[in-house]
Amino acid sequence: MVVSKMNKDAQMRAAINQKLIETGERELLKELLRAKLIECGWKDQLKAHCKEVIKEKVLEHVTVDDLVPEITPKGRALVPESVKKELLQRIRTFLAQHASL
Amino acid sequence: MMQQQCRRDGGRAEARPPTLPSAPGSFVSPHPTVGRQLLKLVPTVQRGPGLWALFLNPLPCCRPLCYEQSERRLHKSLQMKMEEMSLSGLDNSKLEAIAQEIYADLVEDSCLGFCFEVHRAVKCGYFFLDDTDPDSMKDFEIVDQPGLDIFGQVFNQWKSKECVCPNCSRSIAASRFAPHLEKCLGMGRNSSRIANRRIANSNNMNKSESDQEDNDDINDNDWSYGSEKKAKKRKSDKNPNSPRRSKSLKHKNGELSNSDPFKYNNSTGISYETLGPEELRSLLTTQCGVISEHTKKMCTRSLRCPQHTDEQRRAVRIYFLGPSAVLPEVESSLDNDSFDMTDSQALISRLQWDGSSDLSPSDSGSSKTSENQGWGLGTNSSESRKTKKKKSHLSLVGTASGLGSNKKKKPKPPAPPTPSIYDDIN
Repeated sequence: MVVSKMNKDAQMRAAINQKLIETGERELLKELLRAKLIECGWKDQLKAHCKEVIKEKVLEHVTVDDLVPEITPKGRALVPESVKKELLQRIRTFLAQHASL
Repeated sequence: MMQQQCRRDGGRAEARPPTLPSAPGSFVSPHPTVGRQLLKLVPTVQRGPGLWALFLNPLPCCRPLCYEQSERRLHKSLQMKMEEMSLSGLDNSKLEAIAQEIYADLVEDSCLGFCFEVHRAVKCGYFFLDDTDPDSMKDFEIVDQPGLDIFGQVFNQWKSKECVCPNCSRSIAASRFAPHLEKCLGMGRNSSRIANRRIANSNNMNKSESDQEDNDDINDNDWSYGSEKKAKKRKSDKNPNSPRRSKSLKHKNGELSNSDPFKYNNSTGISYETLGPEELRSLLTTQCGVISEHTKKMCTRSLRCPQHTDEQRRAVRIYFLGPSAVLPEVESSLDNDSFDMTDSQALISRLQWDGSSDLSPSDSGSSKTSENQGWGLGTNSSESRKTKKKKSHLSLVGTASGLGSNKKKKPKPPAPPTPSIYDDIN
């Protein structure tokens, strides 16, 4: 029963994701998040951090693989609380709406 | 879809049994709606039974075999129900967890997108372009001191500065330097206008007695020094430096053949009533002199002015100077020569006769009559001499007018009427 439930969860999540994509909500949320991050200066902060990283690395060719593990955790951490809250609120609203379908 | 499958189950949207744990006794329902739904289950047996309901209300058929079947059925229905209520039936924590997951996914997407952008910028070489070296950063730092602007400049530093004019070597205030230079060097629009006006005014002053080149209708009654005052008044009426002034003058007959090209004449012509005989004569030798019907003034253009025909000019001269008067220029190969000699004598005789040549400045009609009388007296003596030639002159005039009409166009409507007046006189 637990295993099935876990599968159910996975299935549920898959279903939710599918719903998100189908309604276009995912794209909306993505754009919203991007705009908010630029507004709050997250992008500039991260860019400055990137510059430091790259200068430190002093590699001839910096690859994406190099950058990602450096930047992603910092990026996640730098997101301001207000943006996070707002986005979560939106997601919850979406779930509440579409859970009844 | 799970949910769609569940829908086929009679649309039991309302009654959704909660996800029951394996032990029916340990039922926990934190979700408020779930509790309500559970209560709904109690009275109705037919609707979504659920394990709970099973224990409350046994199935109609209580045989052991039926029970197993029913249990299996129950399981299936339960499963379906569970799938059906997968989203809403979840407890809050699950929902929240899902939400968090979604959010994390989105953020990660953004970060990854950002990484791609940075990587591309590094590869294309424009990532570090907006960096400036520290020296320039120091040089162009924003200044935030009182009395200075952000560039570090003092506010009205140039207000009180004085410049030395290279032309007149005077020191002029900076804000007045440009207009001063314009006047001082004589270049630029305003300076030429001012200069021309000055010349025109000085001309008016000098020549108010003789060739009144720039008199306007204000000089009608005063043919003396009063013209000067009125010239000044006229100047103040309009903006002296406006371009409109010059434009309006272009179409007037104010052009003089001997005038400076930059000179703007302010008059259409000359009022013949204010001229003495001497002036008239000299005027008519140099200028067109045809009297315009509108303004009763003589045209001050050249003798070859295109607006008036020779015939008109001749008529005017005859009117003023007697029937033997002739145009200074010889246009057609008519025997004008014969007239010249006699004409000059007649002119002299006429001019010497002062009498009522002091033309009254009142109506042109009355003045004409007085003129006729005046001139008539003068001509009486020479008329007998001139009768023959007068007639031939008339015929000449007639032919000339014919020729004139053929050769030249009459651009203005007043052109035709004017000969008629003089015909009467003649």
